[in-house]
Amino acid sequence: MRYHRPTSIGDAVAIAQDASGTCRFLAGGTDVLVQLRADLVTPDDLIDIKHLPGMRDISRAGDGWRIGAAVTGAEMSENADLKREWPGVVEAMDLVGSTQIQGRATLTGNLCNASPAADSVPAMVAADATVTIAGPGGERTVPVAEIPVSPGRTSLQKGEVITAVNLPARAARSADAYLRFIPRTEMDIAVVGCGINLTLDGDTITHARASLGAVAPTVLLVDAIADALIGSTLGDAALDAAAAAASAACNPIDDKRGTIEFRTRVAGVLTKRAAKIAYERARGQS
Amino acid sequence: MSGQEITLTLNGERRATPAHPGERLSAMLRERLDARDVKIGCDAGDCGACTVLVDGDPVCACLTPAHRADGRKIETVAGLLERDPLAQALEARFLKGGAAQCGICTPGMMVSATALLRQNADPTEDEIKDALGGVLCRCTGYRKILDAVHPGRDKGGDRQPDNIDPGGPGHVGEAIPRLDGRGKTRGSERFGDDVAPPGTLEIRIIRCPHDHAGFSIGDTGKFVEKTSGIVAVLTAADVPGDQDFGVIPGFRDQPVFARDTARFRGEAVAAVVGEAVCMAEFDPASFPVAWTPRPAVTDTDAATAPGAPVLHARHAGNLMCKGFVKTGDAEHALAVADIVAEGHFTSGFVEHAYIEPEAGYALPEGDGVTVHACTQAPVMDRESLAAILNLPESAVRIVPAGVGGGFGAKLDLSVQPYLALAALKTGKPVRMAYSRSESMQSTTKRHPSDIRLRIGARRDGTLSGMAFHGVFNSGAYASWGPTVANRVPVHASGPYRIGDYLAEARGIYTHGPPAGAFRGFGVPQAAIAQEALLDELAARLEIDPLEFRLKNVLENGVTTVCGQVFDQGVGIGACLRALRPAWQRERVAAANFNATASGHFRRGVGVASGWYGCGNTSLPNPSTIRCGITSKGEIVLHQGAADIGQGANTVIAQIFATALGVPVDRLRILGGDTAITPDAGKTSASRQTFVTGTAARLAGEALRAKLLARVNAARDARIDLTPEGIQIVDGSGRHSVALDPAAADDDGYVLTACETYDPPTEPLDENGQGAPYAQFGYAAHIAVIEVDTGLGTVRPLRMIAAHDVGRAINPLLIEGQVEGGIAQGLGMALMEEYLPGRTENLHDYLIPTIGDVPPIETLIIEEADAHGPYGAKGLGEHALIPTAPAILNAIRAATGLSLRRVPVTPSRLRAALKER
Ligand code: FES
Ligand code: FES
Repeated sequence: MRYHRPTSIGDAVAIAQDASGTCRFLAGGTDVLVQLRADLVTPDDLIDIKHLPGMRDISRAGDGWRIGAAVTGAEMSENADLKREWPGVVEAMDLVGSTQIQGRATLTGNLCNASPAADSVPAMVAADATVTIAGPGGERTVPVAEIPVSPGRTSLQKGEVITAVNLPARAARSADAYLRFIPRTEMDIAVVGCGINLTLDGDTITHARASLGAVAPTVLLVDAIADALIGSTLGDAALDAAAAAASAACNPIDDKRGTIEFRTRVAGVLTKRAAKIAYERARGQS
Repeated sequence: MSGQEITLTLNGERRATPAHPGERLSAMLRERLDARDVKIGCDAGDCGACTVLVDGDPVCACLTPAHRADGRKIETVAGLLERDPLAQALEARFLKGGAAQCGICTPGMMVSATALLRQNADPTEDEIKDALGGVLCRCTGYRKILDAVHPGRDKGGDRQPDNIDPGGPGHVGEAIPRLDGRGKTRGSERFGDDVAPPGTLEIRIIRCPHDHAGFSIGDTGKFVEKTSGIVAVLTAADVPGDQDFGVIPGFRDQPVFARDTARFRGEAVAAVVGEAVCMAEFDPASFPVAWTPRPAVTDTDAATAPGAPVLHARHAGNLMCKGFVKTGDAEHALAVADIVAEGHFTSGFVEHAYIEPEAGYALPEGDGVTVHACTQAPVMDRESLAAILNLPESAVRIVPAGVGGGFGAKLDLSVQPYLALAALKTGKPVRMAYSRSESMQSTTKRHPSDIRLRIGARRDGTLSGMAFHGVFNSGAYASWGPTVANRVPVHASGPYRIGDYLAEARGIYTHGPPAGAFRGFGVPQAAIAQEALLDELAARLEIDPLEFRLKNVLENGVTTVCGQVFDQGVGIGACLRALRPAWQRERVAAANFNATASGHFRRGVGVASGWYGCGNTSLPNPSTIRCGITSKGEIVLHQGAADIGQGANTVIAQIFATALGVPVDRLRILGGDTAITPDAGKTSASRQTFVTGTAARLAGEALRAKLLARVNAARDARIDLTPEGIQIVDGSGRHSVALDPAAADDDGYVLTACETYDPPTEPLDENGQGAPYAQFGYAAHIAVIEVDTGLGTVRPLRMIAAHDVGRAINPLLIEGQVEGGIAQGLGMALMEEYLPGRTENLHDYLIPTIGDVPPIETLIIEEADAHGPYGAKGLGEHALIPTAPAILNAIRAATGLSLRRVPVTPSRLRAALKER
């Protein structure tokens, strides 16, 4: 195993492109090390990028945000402005692991794991987040939802590395929320996750994005939930319609954490509960 | 693997070391920077045992790349305790409040809590839970940790002064802090993986990836030759003595290394021994072995179906053994009963999930071998190893390492044979530590159960007949399966008066992990069925469930289902009566809540009882305690009862000190090293306080008699340990005891005593009638829970536990046992189920976290037992038995649903709610 500490993203990409065996980028480090011990992956090349310029920064990009690939969940929680504008994204990231892991886990790492149950991903998809990818052909920007292609696999090409997550500008009277269901109180993997992002005009929902995690091989952006919510003031009929749309969108697996039927039902319950939170938050924003 | 040199500040000291690519910070700290106070439980970020501070922030050292420590400030628990007054005060509260049991989680808890307290001097309970949510503890049930972390919520205050010296002499009845506590809070206690010096040879086991497979091993000579750093391979051919081991005579059927056929996923077929640096990168897939998967039977239905593959030729139909108890005529009594409740109950494998994976260190010594490893049964280990190695027992020395939790699974051999074989084969010191998934795959589990039960009752509320048929899945090998089959029929009645009773238990072999001993030996599974049906009978008879139980409980002079009559010491009635006020209060509160609450939430209150016979079932299980006084007047106690966190080191010393009449802190205590300490039996069956405790009392009394005889003092004389030596004070004055060095024996003792105790039992006849145990302990729990009917979740809100312990030797440690047992019972009821291949780590196998365990109130009942030391009874297993049934009964009260399968996961409860 070789350990590399390149001095620029260009060098990092070049090393990755030349690597003949398995190659991993190290930003936070949590998942890579778990895989090492579990004998799932033994990389031949480990490329540490955490120290590179911009990797650890949370910065304004226009009216939106750029979150460097090595920014940890703990650092996001400490940024009051980010938390005020994107509470759903920050709380989703906060659910990734315990306090002891928050100091290492990153949005990018959570995304690149390509686990259907990754908590931060539905929140990012609901937020309409994108990622910036550096690669042999230069930089490109793609929606978060396009990164995971199947459990454990991403759409990243050889030599490509995510350098940042981008969140759009926060409109007036809008907010997001993320809820997940886990069987115990702490430290668990989502059985269902739900991200909701709403914009209001007065009390009426004018724009909505809704996303579900852990109910299909990859994260789902569910337009039918958004359609059920848009134009409503979140009355019971809209909530029921949104819950039904959520359940209908599910294509989960049966496993030890929850049966298909259970996940399907819980997706509806969580959609209602997350929508209520996002709605209240949006009403509280000027 | 070459490392790049980094420098860091470790606990205030600048250190330089190479950091290898892909290396964990935890490994670097432990192996190259002497920081063995950093503990390892999973290497996956799931347990938090490895928590250290990096520039002040708590992080899992196992998930932090070593080179990331370059230029950083690292603090571990040892450093914090040297320099941070917050940590020092926290340590005092941990000790005083009994927040550390086995101690393997304690450094991670202390480090995480210190980080919190530095930022927040007055954290709320939720803030503490948030900070410690990533640190798992399997022993304490977390409540004492929560109390200890908060500077103001420290409940130990009325018990002990701040300096943690025992206030009094630390005798029987005093809630003194555990005597070995500091090793745990400081991380200096040496657990299985902490003994070996860095850099010794290491062992990795090659395990079968299938439930059942034939296999052939290729050319191992060539493999050793071509793989650099590998020095030896061990297979069945390298076992000079007995190929198979086990714990029950006649059932020693588990091979050290499988021969030709592997019968469960995770079974060992070979071991590879190599240099430490190479083993870190060793890929088990490179080992030359070819597998031929075969059809597997993984549950008892499949294993007993006609034509099922037979695991062991001697056991047709895969029937391992049977247990049976019969008295009166159960079928007739059921036929004439006014009502009969019946049910079919099932449960799955449950994993012990102690935070310390099995680990140890061995070295060739003299003509034999010395093995340091975590164990619950050092002397049994020695006997088994001698047989495997074909050596006399005198050539095998077992030095028990600290045990980071056992709960039954560390009664069986795990790493020991591989360590011993490798040390003898290579002639060098060797070490090994199981990875978390190896530990979960290969060590014993709680038996899955399949129980059919019927209980009858008359209109007047008395029980009339009970018929129990239990099938227990013992996995591929017997382990303690025969004990489970024997114990269950004796206990399945619960602590009730039942004249007409029939109980049969069968142990069945399957292609699963061996099921063995786990807190309760099958009794918790049986109690779930029996207590559920009692509630259903009470409901149908419209009698209050607690009063229904009281009407039928055993009392002094009432015959048990085994025909045993205790004329003293039966405390279950006292336990239930002690719960009455809480029962009435909580039921009213829950009814009020349900009447007014809107939405999906429903509350329920449930009660359940349990009993458990202390010691081996109708078999001898002696304990011996040896002690001596040196010529300098030092009093030495050879204490061989393995302390796996429960507190034997403290409790046995308290009993001995009381009998001798000296303060407990004046004893020098030697551990269970088989070279110096006699056999105190195994730490199982809730026997140590009772059996070894009695031996300690006898030894203390004998030594006292010898001491007093030296000066002809009266029996009630006082022993004074003065700087000038031992003095005896009685009515006739003060006498100095002369301790002549010339009279000392080989061990330096001028006076010694050695006493053995074996509890009186009688064999069971073919109907299970006899006197299986000299004493039983009794317990009853109340669970208060809230169900979210929308999601199917169950949130325990409060537990109240009444335990008849005969005499509370140490109330603080009793609370610790009760709280820890309840946490495990809660896990069994609501979340724990081990599925081979699917839950082999601590994020897929869920155990309760600090957020899952509700407040627990412990009511100590002292119904003295004539046999126990100062009246004391065993407790370890009793703590867990009533918990799951009480929770299930509470769910029934909240929802009207009687659930027949544990764990009651949200998905199962939701499905049942929907079906209704
Ligand atoms: S050893 Fe690091 S979290 Fe378990
Ligand atoms: S004391 Fe916490 S795991 Fe044993």
